Amino acid sequence: MRTAPLIAIEVAAFLLIILESYAFFTYIVPVGTLPHDLLRYTAEAALKVALTFGLGLLWLVVILALTRLYVRSSPRAPSPNPSS
Amino acid sequence: MVLTFAEAALLALPFAVPLLFVLVAVPPYLRYLTRRGSVVEDVHKRPPTKVPSPLGPVLFAGAVVGEAVSYLCFPSLVPVALVGVAAIAFAVGMADDFSVMGASAKPLLLLGAGLPLVLSVLVEPRLYVPRLVFPILGPSAQHFAIYTLLVVVAFPVVANAFNMMDAFNGELSWFALLVSLALLFGVVLHAVYTRGFSPARVAATLPLVAIASGFLFYNRYPSKAFDGNSGSLLLGALFAALAVVDGVEVAAVVALVPAILNSFYTLSSVRGFVERRKMRARPTYIGEDGLLYASPDNSSPNTLVRLILLGGPLSEKDLVRNVTVLTAVACLLSGAISVLTWVR
Repeated sequence: MRTAPLIAIEVAAFLLIILESYAFFTYIVPVGTLPHDLLRYTAEAALKVALTFGLGLLWLVVILALTRLYVRSSPRAPSPNPSS
Repeated sequence: MVLTFAEAALLALPFAVPLLFVLVAVPPYLRYLTRRGSVVEDVHKRPPTKVPSPLGPVLFAGAVVGEAVSYLCFPSLVPVALVGVAAIAFAVGMADDFSVMGASAKPLLLLGAGLPLVLSVLVEPRLYVPRLVFPILGPSAQHFAIYTLLVVVAFPVVANAFNMMDAFNGELSWFALLVSLALLFGVVLHAVYTRGFSPARVAATLPLVAIASGFLFYNRYPSKAFDGNSGSLLLGALFAALAVVDGVEVAAVVALVPAILNSFYTLSSVRGFVERRKMRARPTYIGEDGLLYASPDNSSPNTLVRLILLGGPLSEKDLVRNVTVLTAVACLLSGAISVLTWVR
C-alpha cells in the first residue's frame, strides 16, 4: 500500500503531539516560582513561551526529516512526456 | 450534557436544513453560472472539461441558514460569531476568485476572520476558554492574550491549509467532510462528559458537517462544480472557529495533519508564500495516458499529492482515494485524542 509510509509519518506526528504535551506539562509548566519579582517573572514567562515554540519547531523538524527520508527512499516514477 | 427528547429532535434541524438548502440550491445556481460563462477548465481531464465555479456563495448561504437555525433552536452568541467569521473568509475568497490576490495579501486579510470571535468574546467571555485541553494530562493554564493571538493567527493557517487541499475532484470535499465529522465527534464527547457544556455548541457545529456533505455530493469525482477560493477559505475558517469555541483544538489539529503536512511541504519547498498560479514548476502533470505523474523537476513544490505520486502514476480518482485514506487515518487518530481527552 503506497500510503503506508505517509500514514507512518501521520502516526509519528500524532505521537509527537502526545509526547510533547507530556513534556510541556512536566518541564515547561513548572518553570517560574517567584511571581512577586516582576523582572524574573517576566523572564520566566518569556522562557515558557520560547520553550513552547521550541516544541512546535521540534515537531516540524522531525516531520520534515521523516518526509525527506521518504522522498529519498521512494522509487522514481516512469516519466512519459508531459502533455500539460 | 443531558438532553431532553425535544432538544435531541431540535439538534436534527441545524444539520437537515442547511444540507437540504445546499442540495436544492446548487443545480439552479450551476445553470446560472454556466449561462454567465463562469466556468473553469478541469485541467486534470483529457481533454480538459469546463466546470462551473465558484460554489462558494451557495456554501456561504448554507452556512448562514444553518447557523440561523442553530440560533433559533439554541439561542447563543456562538452562531452569530461563526457567521461573522464565515462572512469575512468568504469575502476574502470571493475577492481572490474574481481578481487574483498576491501570495501574502490573502493570509494578511484572513487574519481579519478571527476578529468576530475576538470581539464576541469581549461581549460574552464564555464564548471560548483561553486554554488548551490535552489528552490524559488535562487543561493548560488560561492565558487570554497569548491564546487569543494564536487564535487570530490560526485563521489564515487553517483556511489556507484547506485551500491548498483543493486541487483535484473531490479532494477538498472528502477532506472537509471527514475532518468536520472528527470535530463533531470531539464536540459531542466534550458535551457528554463536561457538566455545563451547552448543546448550543453541538448545534453550531452541525451546519459545517451539513454543507460539507452537500458540497461532496456535487464535487466528488467527476466534479459537477468547483468551490473556488471562496468555498475553501470559508470551510477552513469555519472549522478553525468551531475548534476554538468548542474547545477541541488538539483533536482538530490532529485531524488536519494531512493538510498541515501538505502546506508545510509546499511552503518549505518553495521557501515562502507563492501564489500557486505563479509557481515556476507544477508538482504534478498529466501524461499522454491520462494518468497523473509526480513532476521530476526538483524545483517543483513537494505537495502531499506529489509525495503519493512518487510511488508511481495514478488516475485522478485513485489519487483522491489515497488522500482520503490519509485523511481518514488522521481523523481516527483525532477521535482517539477526543476519547483520551474527554472520556472519564
